[in-house]
Amino acid sequence: MNMMNHREQKAPADSGRVLEVKNITKTYGVGDNETKALKGITFDVLKGEFLGIMGPSGSGKTTLLNTIATMIRPTSGKVLLERQELGRFKDRELADYRGKKIGYLFQDFELLDNMTAKENILLPLSLHGITGKAAADPLETLARQLDIEDVLNKFPSQMSGGQKQRVAAARSLIGNPSILLADEPTGALDTKNSRTLMDQLSKINQTMGITIMMVTHDASAASYCSRILFIQDGQLFHELRRNVESEPREVFYERIITVLTQLGGGSAHVL
Amino acid sequence: MFFKQIFRNGRKNIKNNGLFFGSLVAAVVAFYTLLSMGEQDVMRFLRTMESDAVQKLMMLIPAIYVVSLFFVFFLVYFACAYQLDGRRRELGMYLMLGMKRSRMFGMLMGETVFNSVIALVIGLPVSLILTECVSLATARGIGMGIIGHKFSLSLTAILWTVAGFLAVQLIAMFLLSIRFVRQEPAALLKSDVSETQKLPKTGKVGVAIAVAGMVMLAAAYILSIQQMGIFSYIVLIPVLILGIWGTFWLYKGMGALIGRRIMKKTMSRSGLYTFTGRQIQENVLHQYKVLAVASLLLLLAIACVSYGIGVAFGRGAESGHSADFTITDTDQDVAEELLSGDSAWMIKDCYAMRLGHMDIDSHTYNAEGMYKAISGQPQSDIRDNILENIQGRIDYFIAESSYNRLLASLGKEPLDLGENRAAMYTSMSGSDFQSILAGALKDGASIEIDGKTYELLPELYTDNVVADRQITLYNAYIVADEVYDSLVTDPEEIFAYNLSLSDALVEESGLMQAILEMGQVLDNCGLHYESYLAGIGRNLFYTVAGSYITIYLGVLFLIIANTVISLKYLIWQRKNHGRYMTLLMLGARKSELARSAVRQMYTFFTLVLSVTAVSGVFAVWCLFTNFTRLPANASMVHVLSAAAVAFAAFVVIECIYMGVIRRATGRAIGALDITDRR
Repeated sequence: MNMMNHREQKAPADSGRVLEVKNITKTYGVGDNETKALKGITFDVLKGEFLGIMGPSGSGKTTLLNTIATMIRPTSGKVLLERQELGRFKDRELADYRGKKIGYLFQDFELLDNMTAKENILLPLSLHGITGKAAADPLETLARQLDIEDVLNKFPSQMSGGQKQRVAAARSLIGNPSILLADEPTGALDTKNSRTLMDQLSKINQTMGITIMMVTHDASAASYCSRILFIQDGQLFHELRRNVESEPREVFYERIITVLTQLGGGSAHVL
Repeated sequence: MFFKQIFRNGRKNIKNNGLFFGSLVAAVVAFYTLLSMGEQDVMRFLRTMESDAVQKLMMLIPAIYVVSLFFVFFLVYFACAYQLDGRRRELGMYLMLGMKRSRMFGMLMGETVFNSVIALVIGLPVSLILTECVSLATARGIGMGIIGHKFSLSLTAILWTVAGFLAVQLIAMFLLSIRFVRQEPAALLKSDVSETQKLPKTGKVGVAIAVAGMVMLAAAYILSIQQMGIFSYIVLIPVLILGIWGTFWLYKGMGALIGRRIMKKTMSRSGLYTFTGRQIQENVLHQYKVLAVASLLLLLAIACVSYGIGVAFGRGAESGHSADFTITDTDQDVAEELLSGDSAWMIKDCYAMRLGHMDIDSHTYNAEGMYKAISGQPQSDIRDNILENIQGRIDYFIAESSYNRLLASLGKEPLDLGENRAAMYTSMSGSDFQSILAGALKDGASIEIDGKTYELLPELYTDNVVADRQITLYNAYIVADEVYDSLVTDPEEIFAYNLSLSDALVEESGLMQAILEMGQVLDNCGLHYESYLAGIGRNLFYTVAGSYITIYLGVLFLIIANTVISLKYLIWQRKNHGRYMTLLMLGARKSELARSAVRQMYTFFTLVLSVTAVSGVFAVWCLFTNFTRLPANASMVHVLSAAAVAFAAFVVIECIYMGVIRRATGRAIGALDITDRR
């Protein structure tokens, strides 16, 4: 199976819903210690969309991402990926979901440091029995797109932070996931490497139609998104949309800053 | 509060670390088993027979105790390191919460004392049961069950065990605590292996090191087999250096070999093949010294146990039991006196052993025929020595009737010599010596007395003419009674009386008790005698001294080597928690992770055991061709059975260790929960 050909056939303009989040809540603790991290969030993610999730610390954005990544089970509500409800998945289906349907980009890369870049990238494929040419072709394409061809035979300790994160990105994309979940992907990178990574993710989103959902604190990284959901105290607070073709990134960035200022100085923060 | 915490932590340690406590208990058992050796049935028995030799052996025990302290220290050190490593986060948290380093050090030492007490409380009864079992088994195995089993509790052994164990544990924990307490809280809180990651060497240098290691090992094997015939330090030292160095280099370079294989297979293998391979490679790269030391310790264990078995059988086979007593008072007719007395029922046979020297003034003797036959045997130092001794030696003669009585008491066919034949006898031990003589006799040998040729029977006779050591004959000729009477200085003279106990008595009281009872009868008669018991005593002493201690050390090395590999493996696996979580996120199933972990463990053990097995074959080969030799008459069935039992025990021990690790790893992977990730 040539996965990249398959991927390239996807139309970025396809407006079908990839992800449906329906009124999910997450409560930690019981009785007096009860904390509601998510208080009923509902939204959809469309195919080919680059969605950003922003909000102050403790607002529930990582809980939301981890719920979608099946790292956390919601207390109530449903999450559907391509019309399949995640809550019904058993062990094998969960493993398949994690390996095939989603790609996860971690803040601290989570590369296996005793394996080369190539071996790290190929892991999700070999876990699902894809080897040989079927693995080599997408590897080659992604390595070219993410500019990591030179480091394929290197170990993580021989790479820069930026290279590590791009290798991690290649790993999360190689299984041709329906959605790429990114948790603060620029959190451990300097400005230059952050920009390189975001440029490449944006390019992959636009040319290959990969749906991306990214949690971030960084307004600059968020300015690459086509839509941003702002969360506060476990609820949706605001939504920003950008017409990627007509609105320059700098302008969108200013709008994000404005919302963030409101978020930081809003009535919720008056004690 | 402080002591409560120590108590609580100690209890938690016991619950969570079976292998840790198992190792501590093993250390206690090791000390007590050695120190209580003097109280074993066999040793108590031997003390009455061979008190000087036993005394000397007992003086050796402290030296072995010190050696054991040294090795057990490593066992305890690794066990404690494993246990402390599992508590890194907890210790980091104590520091972060403001615990003083001195207080943490005190807490760890307090826990050590608590753990030691628990290990001693469990270990001492286990040791007692074990030593009792060994005592009984040794006594039964050697056939003296009747000397009476006595429950033995050695207070001195207990005291030294407690002292040694506490010292070893406190020193190990002291060194480890200092190491842990000195670390910064951040270093303790982060327990993932990634921080200490070394770059795997997959280059040609690594392969060259591995190949060099193999060449060195091969050189050591060849040298040990070919050149060690004559024991010499000039050969031994290079063999040891090449062997040890070769083992270290082989493991040092092994990581590179594994890396090259993975590189070749990455694109074609699915599942966790690459991950498993890299894990093994990393483990080998980081732990190559541990692998080498463990392999050498296991080799030492194999050598010790093999030597122990060899010694046990070598000595055991010499105990030709021809008579129960040899009475040396020959001025009265002892046989008649005893056989007509009250104790006649206790005696199966009592006969005079007629053994005498040739009257050289009246007879001429020529051993040319024998000399020629021996010359025809393959050249060796022993053969030349025999040739030198046999020439000009005036030999002893044994009357055929006496020797036939002896053979009859053993249930063997009597001799039928006639006038022109003689048989050769020796009481010298040594399989080489006997096989040269036997070879010469088989080829046809003769002696000449007064010009008359006596053909020698093709068999060599070695059944001892006395019960113990009354006489050791380099060689003697058994001749027909008429010939004997004509040759010896005083044909009427009786060398000694041999006495065999009745089967009924032996059956009723057991051999030992029967000999003791008969001994009393002989004492009452005022007779001077030697008993088979003294022979057994001496024999047993060598068996016990030689085999017991070497087997003890072998088992000790075996346990230490396995514990070290197991603990190192588990410590390392624990640090891979983060990697397994990442794999779960990438879509691996827990069952796959468990399979990978088990494969890693088996490979880790196989890497140690395979090198040990190859080296072990050569070591045992060298041992039995150069250092010790099984007697020609040693029962191969018995030797092979003992070797099979030892091998089976070895396999069982390995399986137990692998089973423990497998369970621990399975538990750790089963407990992984992806929701814990953040």
